[in-house]
Amino acid sequence: MSALLLDLMDSAAGRADYADARLVHSDVERISTRNGAIDELDHTEEEGLGVRVRVGGAWGFAATRGTDRAAADEALARALAVALAQPRTRATPLAPVAPARGDWRSPARIDPFDVPLEDKLATLVSADAGMRGDPRVKVARAHYLAHRVEKTFASTEGALCTQRSTECGGGIVALAVSDGDAQVRSHPGSFRGDIAQAGHEHFTALHLPSAAAWVADEAVALLSAPPCPAERTTLILDGEQLALQLHESVGHAVELDRILGTEASYAGTSFVSATDLDRLRYGSPLMNVTADATAPGGLGTFGWDDEGVAGQRTPIVRDGELQGFLSSRESAAEAGLERSGGCMRAEGFARQPLVRMTNVNLEPGDAGSLEDLIAATDRGVLMATNRSWSIDSRRLHFQFATEAAWEIVDGERRRLLKNPSYAGTTPAFWAGLDAVCSSPEWQLWGVVNCGKGEPGQVAHVSHGTAPARFRGVEIGVA
Amino acid sequence: MAPAALDLAERALAAMVSGDGAQATVTKERSLLLRFARSRPTQATSLNDTTVELTAVRDGHVGTAATNRTDAEALRACARAADTVVRAAAAAAGTSGSYPGLPAPARARAHAAHDPETARLDPDAGGAALTTAFEAAAGHGVEAHGAWTAGEVETAVASSTGVAANDRVTDAFLKVVGIAGDGRSGYASQTACSLGALDPHVTAERATRKAACGTPDRLEPGEYPVVLEAHAVADLLTWLGTLAFNGLAHADERGALCGRLGTRVVSPAINLSDSPRYPGTLPRAFDAEGVPKAPLPLIQDGVATRVVHDTRSAALVGAQSTGHALTPAGAGDGPSPTNLVMMGGGAADEAELCRPIERGVYVTRLWYTNAVRPKETLLTGVTRDGTFLIEDGRVTRPLHDLRFTDTVLGILGRVQELGARSVLSSEGEFYGRRFATGVVCPPLRTGSMRFTA
Repeated sequence: MSALLLDLMDSAAGRADYADARLVHSDVERISTRNGAIDELDHTEEEGLGVRVRVGGAWGFAATRGTDRAAADEALARALAVALAQPRTRATPLAPVAPARGDWRSPARIDPFDVPLEDKLATLVSADAGMRGDPRVKVARAHYLAHRVEKTFASTEGALCTQRSTECGGGIVALAVSDGDAQVRSHPGSFRGDIAQAGHEHFTALHLPSAAAWVADEAVALLSAPPCPAERTTLILDGEQLALQLHESVGHAVELDRILGTEASYAGTSFVSATDLDRLRYGSPLMNVTADATAPGGLGTFGWDDEGVAGQRTPIVRDGELQGFLSSRESAAEAGLERSGGCMRAEGFARQPLVRMTNVNLEPGDAGSLEDLIAATDRGVLMATNRSWSIDSRRLHFQFATEAAWEIVDGERRRLLKNPSYAGTTPAFWAGLDAVCSSPEWQLWGVVNCGKGEPGQVAHVSHGTAPARFRGVEIGVA
Repeated sequence: MAPAALDLAERALAAMVSGDGAQATVTKERSLLLRFARSRPTQATSLNDTTVELTAVRDGHVGTAATNRTDAEALRACARAADTVVRAAAAAAGTSGSYPGLPAPARARAHAAHDPETARLDPDAGGAALTTAFEAAAGHGVEAHGAWTAGEVETAVASSTGVAANDRVTDAFLKVVGIAGDGRSGYASQTACSLGALDPHVTAERATRKAACGTPDRLEPGEYPVVLEAHAVADLLTWLGTLAFNGLAHADERGALCGRLGTRVVSPAINLSDSPRYPGTLPRAFDAEGVPKAPLPLIQDGVATRVVHDTRSAALVGAQSTGHALTPAGAGDGPSPTNLVMMGGGAADEAELCRPIERGVYVTRLWYTNAVRPKETLLTGVTRDGTFLIEDGRVTRPLHDLRFTDTVLGILGRVQELGARSVLSSEGEFYGRRFATGVVCPPLRTGSMRFTA
C-alpha cells in the first residue's frame, strides 16, 4: 500500500501545490445487552482512501472505498476537480513540518479482537443481570466497544508513515421509572462508559459486574431523592463530569479554526481570539491545562496527526493564563505560530482532517482524594456523571446536568439529590476553581461522541481530570 | 434487470448461512459538500462509498456485520461474521430472544425524490453558489460562511422473507451565515430533493441582511412571548420526535407520552404527522427493515394519537411496525419519525405573527439543544444567528443570543398562531452514511418561552 500512495503522490505533485493521502482500514465491534438479551452485536469493517489536494488557496478532498491504483487515480482526479471548481482564493502558507517517517502502534496487551465473543458477552450479561433486581429498573444495559484503526499516510512533501491504534472499553447503565419520573445512573461514565486506547485489559479492569448493584440501587434511590436546590454555592465535580466541562469550555474554545472563524457556520467560533495568547486570564492560578497527544491510554494519542505532524504536548493554560491553541499547519501559519500543534484528525478514510482535540487534560493539584476535598468543604454540592450538556456557539455560556448529586454539609457527603444542574460563563467559572485533587485521583476519561465538521465527523478524545472544586456556581438551573 | 444496489444486496444475501432469517442492506452514497468561511472556500469533500450490512436472526437474537468491500470473498467473510455473532448472542443469552423475525414483504409506494441533474454532483454548480453567496455578503458589508451540498443515496434491502426493495433519492442543501465585523450574524438555509429548487441568491440575501442590522441589546432572563422561525420550530419538533414518539421509549415507560396518548398534550392548533411523501419533504420508500413508509398522524388538534414502531418495539407491545426502523432489526435506542410535518395556520408571515406582541423575542434558529429531562421534554439550548426584540408588534432591534430552558410540550401548548407557509428545514448534518432528513413546518407564535440566561 505504501507504493500505491507514493505513486499517487508523484502523480499529484505536478497537478497540485500540495497533496496528501491516507489509506485507512478500520474494524469496530459493538456489543450491548438490554434487560438480559443481546441487544446489539455488530462487527463493521471499512477500508478506503482519502486524497486531499490544494490548488491555489482551495482545498479539494475525495474519498473512495477502493484501494487499487484505478480507484486512487479517480479519487485524485475528483479532488482536483472540486478544488478547481471553487471560487479563486488567496493561498495562505502551511506551517513547515519535517516529513513524517516510520511506524507507530498504540499499546494493547490483549488484542480485543482475539478475545472470544463468549467472554465479552458473559461479562456483559452478568453486569446486566446484576442491575435487574428491583422492578422499578425498567432498562438495564451493558456496553462493549473495540475499535482498531490502521492507516498509511503520504504527502507530496515526502511523508510516509504507518500507524495502528486499538481502543477498548465499556460501561453499564440502569434506568429506573416510577410515578412519572425517570432517573438514570451509569458507570464508569455516561454514553457507553469509558473507552481507552488500550486492549481488552481495560475492559476487564472496569469490573462492570461488581458495579451493577450500586448502579441500580442509586438509579432507584434517585426516584425518591429531593431535587437539587436552586442557589449559588460551592460545587465539586467528579472526574467524569469535569472531563466534559473541560471538553466543552476549554478544548473546543481553543481550537484555532474556530478562533479564526473557519468553523463559524457550524461548530461556531470562540470567545478566545488569536491575540489572547499570553494575555487572557482563563481561570484561577490553579488551572493548568495541557493538550497531550503522547499520553498513554488517551484516545487522542498518536504518532502523527492526519497531516503528518508528530504528536506533541502543548501547554494550553498555565497558572490560569492562556498559553496555547489546538492548531493545524494552515491555522498555525495564519495565526503566526512557528509550527502546527499537530491536531489535524479525520474520522476514517471518508472525511478530511479537521482541527480536533488530542487529550486536553487538567493537571492534578494537591487537594488529596475526593473524600479529602469533601471533608475540606463546609457547604456545597458534589455532582457526578454527565446527563446533559449545552454551550453557546462561542463556548462562553454553558449549562450542564448530571445524573446524581449529593449535598455537602460540614465536610460530609449527605443526602442524594436528583435532577442536578449548573450553569455558568467560561472564564468566571474557571476563575472559581480553588482546589484540584491530587495525582492518585487523576485519570483519563474517553469521550467518543465529539461531533464537528461538515460532513459530520465523530472524534474520539480523552481528558485527564481529577475531581475539583469551584466556588460561587449557580446550581439548580433546570 | 434489478438495480445495482439490489443486485448486490441479493448476492450478499445469498452468501448468508442458514438460520431463522437474514437481511442484506446495501447503501451507496455519492456526495459532494463545499464549505466556505469569511467569503472564501475552505473545505470540499467528494465521497463515493458503498456499505453492505448483513443481519442474521437466530432464535429471536440478531447479529450484524458490515463491510464496504463488495467482492465475493468479502461478502462471504461478512456473512460468516454475521453468523458468528448471532450464534454467540443466542448462546450467551441462554434463552430465546425477543426479536419477532424479519418483516414480510410489502409493496412500497413510489416517490419522485430522485433528480438526475442533482445526481451529477457538478462541482461547478457548487462553485457558482459560493460565488453568489460571496457577492451577496459583500453587498451588505458582511462575510459569508456556510455549506453547499448535494448527494445521491441508493438503498436496497433484500431479506429471506422475500423483501426485495430499492430506493434512490437525491438531496440538496445550502446554508449561509452572514457575519458582520462586530460578530453579529444572520442565518438562512434551503433544503430540497433537487439543486434546482435552491436559490443561492435568495438564501444569501436573507442571511446577510439579518447580519447587517445594528448593534445588539441584552435582554434579561425571563418568560417572553416568542415568534419562532421554521428552523427553530423544526429543532423543537425533531426533539419531540425522539422524546415522545419513540415506541421503544414508550414501552420502557420513559417516553414523554406514557399515559398521555388520547389526551390533549399541546395547543389545539397543533397537527403533527409523519408524512414520507408530503410535498416538500425528503421522501423515502421504506425503512431500514424494508417496511414501506406511510403517513401516520401523531398529534391531531393537540391530542397525542400514537407513537412510532420498528419491528422490535412493536413486538414489545403487541403492535405492528409503522415503518420507522432506523437500522436493520431496529436500533438499540428505538425508532423515530424521519418525515415530520406540522400543518400551518393563518398568519401570512413572521411579521404578522409578531403583530400582537407588545414585547417579545424573535428567534431565527436554536443551537446546541439538548434534553435535560427527556420524560418531561425539558430542553436547554441557545438562540443563534438572528435573535431580535419585538416591540409593539414589530421587530425593532437585534439581541444578544439567549439560553432557553423549557419543555417542548409546554412551548407547543402555548402556541397562539401558526404561519400559513411551511418550509422544509434541515440542519444539513451528515454524520456517518448520508441520510438526509428534515421537518416541514411553519413559523409560529407561542405565548411564552422561558429564557434562563
